[in-house]
Order: sequence, then structure tokens, then C-alpha cells
Amino acid sequence: MDLRNTLLVARRQIGTMREDRYVLFLLGLVVSLGIVSVLGARHHAASEAEQRARYRALVERQWAEQPDRHPHRVIHYGFLVFREEAPLAFFDPGVGAYAGTSLFLEGHRQNAASFGDARHSTGMLRFGRLTPAAVLGLLLPLFVVAAGFASVSGERERGTLPLLLAQGATPGQIMGGKVLGVGALALAAALPIGLVTATFAAVGGESQASVIRLLAVAAGYVAYLTGWVLLTVWVSSRRASSRAALVQLVAIWVALCVAAPRLGASLAATLHPIPSRAQFTAQVEEAQRGVGDSHNPDDPFFRALRDEYLARYEVASVDELPINWGGVVSREGEEVTSRINEEQQQELLAAHRRQDGVLAWFGLLSPYLAARDLSMAAAGTGAEAVEAFRAQAEAHRYDIIQRLNDMHVHEIRYENDRAQRIARQEWTRFPVFQPSPPSLRRALTDRPQSLAALGLWIVVPLAGLGLGRRRLPRVGVDGSRS
Amino acid sequence: MRVARERSEDTIAWIRLIRLEFARVIRSGGVAAALLLLLGLGVYASWQGSLRVQATEAAMSAAETAYRDQLAYLSSTYPPATEAGEPLYYLAFPAPQPPSRLSALASGRTAVETANLRIRLLALEGQLYEHETLNPRLAAAGHLDLAFVLIALLPLFVIAVTYDMVSGERERGTWRMARLFARPRRLITAKIAARVVLVAGLITSLALISAFSTGIDADGRAGWAVALIALHTLFWFALCLGVAGGRRSSTANAMVLVGVWVALTFLAPAVLSLTNALLHPVPEALELTVRQRQGYHEAWDLPKAATMEGFFEDYPQWSDQTVPEDEFTWAWYYAMNHRGDQAARDASRAYRDVLTQRDEWARRWSLLVPPLATQIALDRLSSADLRTQLAYQEAVRNYHERLKEHFQPFLFSAAPFTQVDWDRVPTFEPAVPAGDASQAGLPAAAALILISVCALLLGVRKT
Repeated sequence: MDLRNTLLVARRQIGTMREDRYVLFLLGLVVSLGIVSVLGARHHAASEAEQRARYRALVERQWAEQPDRHPHRVIHYGFLVFREEAPLAFFDPGVGAYAGTSLFLEGHRQNAASFGDARHSTGMLRFGRLTPAAVLGLLLPLFVVAAGFASVSGERERGTLPLLLAQGATPGQIMGGKVLGVGALALAAALPIGLVTATFAAVGGESQASVIRLLAVAAGYVAYLTGWVLLTVWVSSRRASSRAALVQLVAIWVALCVAAPRLGASLAATLHPIPSRAQFTAQVEEAQRGVGDSHNPDDPFFRALRDEYLARYEVASVDELPINWGGVVSREGEEVTSRINEEQQQELLAAHRRQDGVLAWFGLLSPYLAARDLSMAAAGTGAEAVEAFRAQAEAHRYDIIQRLNDMHVHEIRYENDRAQRIARQEWTRFPVFQPSPPSLRRALTDRPQSLAALGLWIVVPLAGLGLGRRRLPRVGVDGSRS
Repeated sequence: MRVARERSEDTIAWIRLIRLEFARVIRSGGVAAALLLLLGLGVYASWQGSLRVQATEAAMSAAETAYRDQLAYLSSTYPPATEAGEPLYYLAFPAPQPPSRLSALASGRTAVETANLRIRLLALEGQLYEHETLNPRLAAAGHLDLAFVLIALLPLFVIAVTYDMVSGERERGTWRMARLFARPRRLITAKIAARVVLVAGLITSLALISAFSTGIDADGRAGWAVALIALHTLFWFALCLGVAGGRRSSTANAMVLVGVWVALTFLAPAVLSLTNALLHPVPEALELTVRQRQGYHEAWDLPKAATMEGFFEDYPQWSDQTVPEDEFTWAWYYAMNHRGDQAARDASRAYRDVLTQRDEWARRWSLLVPPLATQIALDRLSSADLRTQLAYQEAVRNYHERLKEHFQPFLFSAAPFTQVDWDRVPTFEPAVPAGDASQAGLPAAAALILISVCALLLGVRKT
């Protein structure tokens, strides 16, 4: 009985919207934009991925085809690694554009990644990117507003609201029906985009997206859009005129989706400033000054190290050591510089995390920020994916460099050191860089604020609808609201 | 006499009408609050912008200090007989590009770019493209500057105060009464004029506040920036007049105008960005990295004379020099680094060409979309666009070249570093902004005027 009235109101709402040419036009526009964005972003992502794979293969071949070389030579030859995007990056590129894609790994230094998408873009990027995630996160809410702002206020203006009430529908049933009706239209817009995304994600070949991740992305957007549907009906039910409801909803959309994210980012950057790249590298150099330079054999740190080795092997000079002293210097030096580099890097990352903290709390004000944050996490394109790549590349770098240093220590004699070579077939025995992205569970549990914000985003308008139920017939009648 | 009096009476009537409208707009619900909000946001954004410029300047002087510290450290740790090539391996020369003051208000791409590289004498191509320390999560959330407030948010305010200026009166039933006092066209003109005055006041106060707080020079660039913002805002007035002067309901007006705003401020830029990226891919970025590394490292396994031969092609003045085959020399070492840049040269040029094409394509197509035309012209005026970044990289290339030529005599003569007069080492010469201000502003201004007239005509035809 209860449900029947609700469904009747829902059907009535759908009927009204279906007759509205403007709403139909917007529906077509949003759906086609969504599909175009999937096709475009997918094409772009695929060509980028193809490029990276090509250069990755080239670099691996160049590594394996090195001639006989001295290991320290190879330490400087180094290795180039490329950050591969997650399979769902075409759906939500997340922070990918703002992080570098190629990273040169060599001895003695931690380089920063180069060549992100944003650096190859013009000033247009400031206004946002056409990605399926942007269509769902930014445009669909506006479509929901356009479809539903008059849902209750329109009945009121036409004088049909008292009729509905008189026919026995309770205010709760009316609002429930309106929510279902507007929600159905939102679904009609979101579903095709979701299906096209899922199809492309499924035919990704070797870079197939996991079903769990797809479901997590979908769940996030369903929750987010549900919040918008509830809010739209709530505002419409509180306003005597549809015009007032529309103006208020658009203002809310601008505040939450356009202004708040930028304001949050700007506040975070102001509250927790970070050093520029030039300052940062200067800091790293300064930190390393006290602790030795492996290229300088007279350095005090390495003098102490030499005395320790001479005592351990009970010899009088380094050329009597059974191992290659030059290699030892290089190995120990690498350990020290890597540790200092990593300490500095962690300090910088800690500053980034403090900024993220501000932004995460801002998510409570802006569900769009929260939804985007969760969408990136689920798609595997959040900041943690970039950081995981950096950390794993650094671990790989350290591993390779120290293997080469060990070769230097044990397989190259100290005497006439530089003239010796390691045979070329050794190069093929080195491990290949195989980054593994952070797990979905980690990415999601790292974002309690965003999860809470999305929950709140549903609970608040729901509570508002529930509490405002009784007042529904009186709005605009006794002048309590206009 | 009579004509003159009639005229002045007419003027007084106009002024009275406009003042009446002005008071009505200000008092209508939420307008004053929205005005204050925009003002607050604008003041915050320009304060934030001046902080950003200050931080950039601080980072630049820090890079200078770091250079002097490093020089002092290297001079104190190496024995005086050390060849200059060795400390030069470590020494990083600062190449700071001072920010344009205007970039405090229109920061463009400054957030993702670096204008403060530290350059070593080694192969250059590997040093040009490192990312800034920026936090990608903040960058992805978007960037707030005064230009964004004025280009993206202010039009919404214009829409909010105009969408129902006629239809609202019709719906309330006051339009007929109002028509008793003045002709409809005159009424509408007065209504628009009152709103233009209001918004002009807002823009003027924001321009003045931010100019004082950031210390922007009142030069041609600042003038063009203000003019473009004004024209862009007038475009929105023209559009609103075109739409709201018609016979649609207030609700329909609001939906149409907000729809146009979304289309121009989000959709068109996003579609154009994506198209630009698809039309102009940049595989050269990775190509040049791979080539430079290979070009440099191959040389370790080649006869030294072969490397020197390639070096002499670019520096014939040293072609009478030879380096020993069986011994390490710094002259050869740096020649080998040069070989890396030589190997990457074609890819690097192609890379710059593609980015220049992207920049030009964006500039051309942006003229069709008023907010984009304004934004891209402002980026240009405040030296925060892609072209400026390319010009900066070119300036760094020139600087690197001058450094190389300065130190080559020391390297070839194997001179000790104590012979270097560090006060005479070349310093960085920043890139000068390409073209003058009007070159950046004129096409956008012309496009804005043309599109505004079209929007206006569209509206007039309908009424």
C-alpha cells in the first residue's frame, strides 16, 4: 500500500520529466559526452601506454645488449623506468597528469620523474579534463538538478500538491516517489556511461581492470549521485517556487564542485608550504656534505671506513685487501647517500601528506572532493599509486646499484681496476623492474574522511527530507518559506 | 534652450531609473551576500597569489645561496691542484627566471612548471624536464587565482542578477506597472546599466586591492588584463541580455544561462584539451630521454677520437686539440656529455615543435570560447603559458652553452680549479616575454567583442 503510492508518484515524476524537452536534451547531451569521453580518454590512455611499453622494451633491450663493461660504468649508465597507469586510468586519470612518467635510476642520486601530461598541456587544462569521471562527478549532478529542481515545487506551483495529498499520498510517500523518479533518470544517464566504461575495461587485454575495482568505482558514484538526488528533492520540497529551488541548487553545485576543491587545495598549500625542486635538491646536497663523497677518496668518512677494513682483514694497505677497496667505497657510499636521499624524500612526502590532510578534511565540505578521492583510490590512480611507483623504483635502483657494487667488490681486482670488465652475459641476469600497485583495500582504508564525507552526503539530505516531511503541505502557504 | 533642458531632464530621468534599479538589485535576496563572497574570494586569491610570487622569489634567492655555498664547500674540500673539471661535475649553476608580478593574479601553468632550474655542466637534456616538488593531489583538485574568480565565477554572478530581470517582473505582475513609467527598451537598458555598474564596481575594487597588495606595475600588460576581464564580463552581460530579454520564464532563462556557462567554462575547454592532446601526441619526450642516455654512454666504449670528432663539429675552434686514448681527461668527459645532447637533438627539437603546435592550436581555437580566450590571453600576459616555458628552456640552453664555452679552455688545458675566476663565470639571462602586450591581448579582445555582438544580436532579434 505504502509502496504503491510511492511508485505512483515516481511514475508521475518520470512522466513529467519525459515530457520536458529540455531535460531530454540534457540527458542526450550528458550521455553522449560521457561516451565520447570514454572513447577519447581510452584512446589517449592506450596510445600513451603503447608508447611507454615500446620504450620500456627498448630500454630493457639496451640494458641487456650492453658490451662488456666495468660495473661502475653501468652504475652511471643506470636504468630508465616508466610509470604505467592503472587499467582504469582512462576512466579517472586521478593525479597521473601531475606526476612524472619517466624516471632515470642511477648511482649516487635519486632523480625526480620527468614528463607528466600536465606539463605538455596548455592553459586549457586549468578548466578541467574531459574524462568519464568528470562527466559523472561534475556534470551528472548538474543534470540531476536540472531534472529534479521542480520535482516538488512544481507540483506546488501547479496546485497539484494538495490534490496528491488529498488522494491519500503521505508527504513521505510523495518525497520518496520523487526521489525514486529523479533517481531513475540519473540512473538512465549514468548507466550507459558505466556500461561503456565497463566494456572497455573488460577488453583491456593484458591491462584488464579488476571487477572489484570497477564495482568499487561504481559504488562510489552511486552513493555520490544518490546524495545529489536526495538533496535536489529536499531543496525542491522546501521552496515555494521552482525558480528559487533551481537557483539554490545551482549555487550549492558551484560552491561544492567548483569553488570548494580549489579553495581547499589553496588553503592546504598555504598552511603547509613545501620547498621548490631547486631548494629541495640543494637541501639534499647540503645534507650529504657532512657524510662523505664516494668519489673523493680523501673524505674523512671513507678514511675511517678504510681503517676499519684494514683492521678487519689485518693488512697494512688497501691494495693488500682480498676484495676491491674501490668497490667497497662505492657500496658504502651508496648506502649512505641513499639513506640521506630517502630521509629528505620522506620529509617532503610528509609535507605532502600534511597538505593532503587539509584537503581530506575539506572533503567533508565538498562531497565532490570526497567522491573524486574515492574514485581515484578505486581506479588505482591516486597519489598513493604515484608514491608506490617512486618507492618501488627507488628500491629497485638501490638493489641494482648494490649488485653492481658487489660485482665491483668481488669480481674486479683492485689493481688496474678501471681496465677490467664484466662479461656482457651478466647484464641479462639482472632483475627487471616489476612495480606492483597498492591494493584497493589499502587505498580505501587510507581515506576515512572521504568515506565519512560520502556517508554524510547521503545522511544529511535524507534526514532533512525526513524531518521536513510534516511541513511539506505548509511550505509557501503560510509564507514560512519562499 | 528647451532642447537642452529636455536633454538634461532626460538624463536625470535616466539616472533616476538606473539608481532605482541599482537599489533594487542590491536589496534582492542573496545578491549582497554573493557580492561579499566574491569580493572575499577575490581578495583571498590575490593575497594567495602574492604569497606564491614571494615564495618563488625566495626559492630563487635560495638557489643563488645554494650555489655560493656549494662553491665554497667545493673550494675548501678539493686540493688546489684539482683539475677544474672535477668540481664542475658537481657544481649546479642557478638559472632563475623571475616571475611576472601579474602571475600573482593569473598564475596559468606556473604551478606545474619550474622556472628555477639548477644546471650542471653535464649533458643538458636530462636536466631540463624534472618535475617540481608539487603535490599531485593538490594539483588535481584545481587551482584558485584571481583570474579563476573573475573568469569562471563572476559570470555566474552576472547570470544570477540578470536572468529574471524581465521575466521576474512579468511573473510577479509588476512589469505592466513598470511599463507605465518608461518604455520597455529603456527599462531594460536601465536594468542592465545598473547591473553593469554593480559588477564594474566589483571588478574595479578587486583590481585595485590586488594591484596594491601584489605591487603590480600599471603597465600595458596590466592594462590589457583589466580590459580583457572587462570585455569578458561584458560578453556575459550581452549574452544574459540576449537570453533574459526574451519571453521565456525565469526558470527557463536560468537553465539556459547556466547551461551555456557550463558549456563554455567546462565542456568546451575539456573537449578542446582532449582534442589537442589527441592531435598532437608527444612521444618525443621519452625518445629524447632514451637517446641522450644512449648517446652519452655509448661513448665510453668508443675510441675517444670518435667522440672528439663529433664534438669538434659543434666547436671547430678546438679541432686542433687531441685527447689521449688511454687516459681519462675532463675535456673528453664533457665532450662525451655533449655527445648525449647531440644524440637527443632531433628528438628534443621535435618535442619543442609539438609543444609549440599545441600552444598555437590552443590559442587559435580558444578564440571561439570567451572564457578560454580570456584565460589564454591572460596566461600569455602574465608569462605563465606553455610558450613562456619553452622560452625559458631555450634561455637555459643558451646559458648552458655559454657556461660550456666559458669552461672549455680550462678543460682542454687541464687547468686547476683555482685558476677559475668565479666572479667572471656567466650568469643566467632570463627569457624575455615573446611579443608585446597588445599582441597577446588584441586577438582575444577582438574575438570577445565579435562574440558579444553576436550574442546581443541574437537577443535583439528575439524581442
